[in-house]
Amino acid sequence: MNETVRMKWARRPTPSMLLRYGLAVISVAAALGLSLVFTYFNLPQTFGAFALSAIAITFWYAGTAPGILSAVLSSLVRDYLFETNTSTESRLLFDLVFLVFAFLMTRVARVRNQLELRVAERTVELTQLNDNLKREIAKHNQVEAELRLSEAYLAEAQRLSHTGSWAWSPPPGDIRYWSEECYRVQGFDPKGGLPRFEEFLLRVHPDDQARIAEVIERAVREKEEFEFDYRIIHPGGEIRDARSVGHPILSPSGDLVEFVGTIIDVTDRRQAEKERERLHEAQADLAHVSRMTTMGELTASLAHEVNQPITAVVNGASTCIRWLTRNDPDLGEAREAASGVIRNAKRAADIINRIRSISKKGESKRQIVDVNELIGEMIALLRNEANRHSISIRTDLDKELPKVMADSVQVQQVMMNLIMNSIDAMKDVDRTRELALRSRRGEDKYLMISVTDSGVGLPLEQANQIFDAFFTTKSHGLGMGLRISRSIVESHGGRLWAADNSPYGASFYFTLPIPEREERAKPSDAHTNV
Amino acid sequence: MSRKREDKLVAIVDDDDSVRGTLQELLRSAGFPSKGFESAEAFLGSGHQQETACLITDIRMPGMSGLELQARLNAEHCRVPIIFITAHGDEEMRYQALRAGAVEFLPKPFDDEVLVESVRAALDR
Repeated sequence: MNETVRMKWARRPTPSMLLRYGLAVISVAAALGLSLVFTYFNLPQTFGAFALSAIAITFWYAGTAPGILSAVLSSLVRDYLFETNTSTESRLLFDLVFLVFAFLMTRVARVRNQLELRVAERTVELTQLNDNLKREIAKHNQVEAELRLSEAYLAEAQRLSHTGSWAWSPPPGDIRYWSEECYRVQGFDPKGGLPRFEEFLLRVHPDDQARIAEVIERAVREKEEFEFDYRIIHPGGEIRDARSVGHPILSPSGDLVEFVGTIIDVTDRRQAEKERERLHEAQADLAHVSRMTTMGELTASLAHEVNQPITAVVNGASTCIRWLTRNDPDLGEAREAASGVIRNAKRAADIINRIRSISKKGESKRQIVDVNELIGEMIALLRNEANRHSISIRTDLDKELPKVMADSVQVQQVMMNLIMNSIDAMKDVDRTRELALRSRRGEDKYLMISVTDSGVGLPLEQANQIFDAFFTTKSHGLGMGLRISRSIVESHGGRLWAADNSPYGASFYFTLPIPEREERAKPSDAHTNV
Repeated sequence: MSRKREDKLVAIVDDDDSVRGTLQELLRSAGFPSKGFESAEAFLGSGHQQETACLITDIRMPGMSGLELQARLNAEHCRVPIIFITAHGDEEMRYQALRAGAVEFLPKPFDDEVLVESVRAALDR
């Protein structure tokens, strides 16, 4: 670096030779001129002093060689113009003075040159330093701008997701950092600065304070992650649901330094969940009402269905008493009659249980169910209704039908609805009235249940309309049955659809997914007519 | 003049096995032999209608109903005394049945004494 500076300095532009040597002549001439002016005005003779100045100026500005020239010229001028009558010794002394002065000036000029070189070097160094500094500053500014941008993005993301970030040192430490969104979620004013942990805790819903204090205490003790839900009361009194997750930061020696984590405002999400639950409940209520409506339509049939075994019970009990109260009581016959009573009473109880189970209102409960069994129970309940309208029921059930995960009450509701529709469709037709129920293992991991009737059939344009809410062709009913049935089937992951039959009647089909475990069981083509 | 009471046939038509069965047992304990049929058609097809001294029938059954059976027998001039037993008896139905010649119209479940007396009365005619 210094070498380059030196070379540059050596090659710096210098005044031309003529100018340099000219300066020597001119400066000595000027000294001479001034001395002549002094002499003219009878002032003391001072050429020596002027000459020394001329020598000094020449050395300083023009360099060593012109300097020596000016010294020689000065000597000659002095010797021949001013000191013509002085002794040789005196002249030599003066010449010596000029010579020594010239020599000194040579040294001075050299020192000056070195100084200039040093200054040049220093200047270059400073310039470089300055450039570096400027570059550093530019780089710093760029990094800062990028950081600002990234922070802006982060803040926006936090705002959008209602997620704040925080850092907290356990006692004797305190809250160390809250992002802006963190303040917002907790209902604090960022201008108020970081609150103390106790201040934060005071804002937490009183019912949650003890619990979260305990969770945090344990996390600090075990140096482990924590997660808790809580409600926070904003200054305006609004209660927000929040969830906080914290992660411990440990020093290399394993000591707990602080927790860093996030806090999410989950109020809206909770709200949506509650809405969904409410909707679900409303659907369940509607399904229940629909079930009750159908059961209401079935009252006469169901009463008859229960009345039959009760009649049998009364007959049996009467028979039993008759055998016992004869003149020669027959205990064997009486016992026989009494067992019949028990059998028929149980049958009555079974029917009542079946009615009760389908009438009850409750949470949707999925369990392993045998669809064939459900069909059988449904037929037991509805056989009398079919009888009333002289409809015969035929079943064609796949004996090795896989079991499915389903809510049996809901699936029975779908079956009941479809069967009742079929009965309605057939009660006024004059041909053979037959209701066929089939179960099959269908394709694509589904089993399929179909209800086929020989009723009035389904006009093509109505094949889909019938599933709309409040669509009905009946003089009674709300038109909700098929709508609810479809939503039940779909909530089980299946499908429900209808098709017109040739030459008459309609078929309704619905599918239910076979659970993987059941699906591995060997499919079978064995069917049975019950 | 007429046959002995024990030889006279009581026919029971009801589609419900347990009702029909227990009714037969009840009549047996009262000393009346009976024959059960699961439908009106089965009874008509059995050829027993002429020797039947008393018919106990349900009203609502798949196929032909009890009232239709009554009309059919009347049309054939088969004057068998009929006792209706039904879970759905309303006044209109009762009136229709009695006007068409039924001897009794009993709601299910019925009092065994009333039934047995009705059967006895029918057989003694």
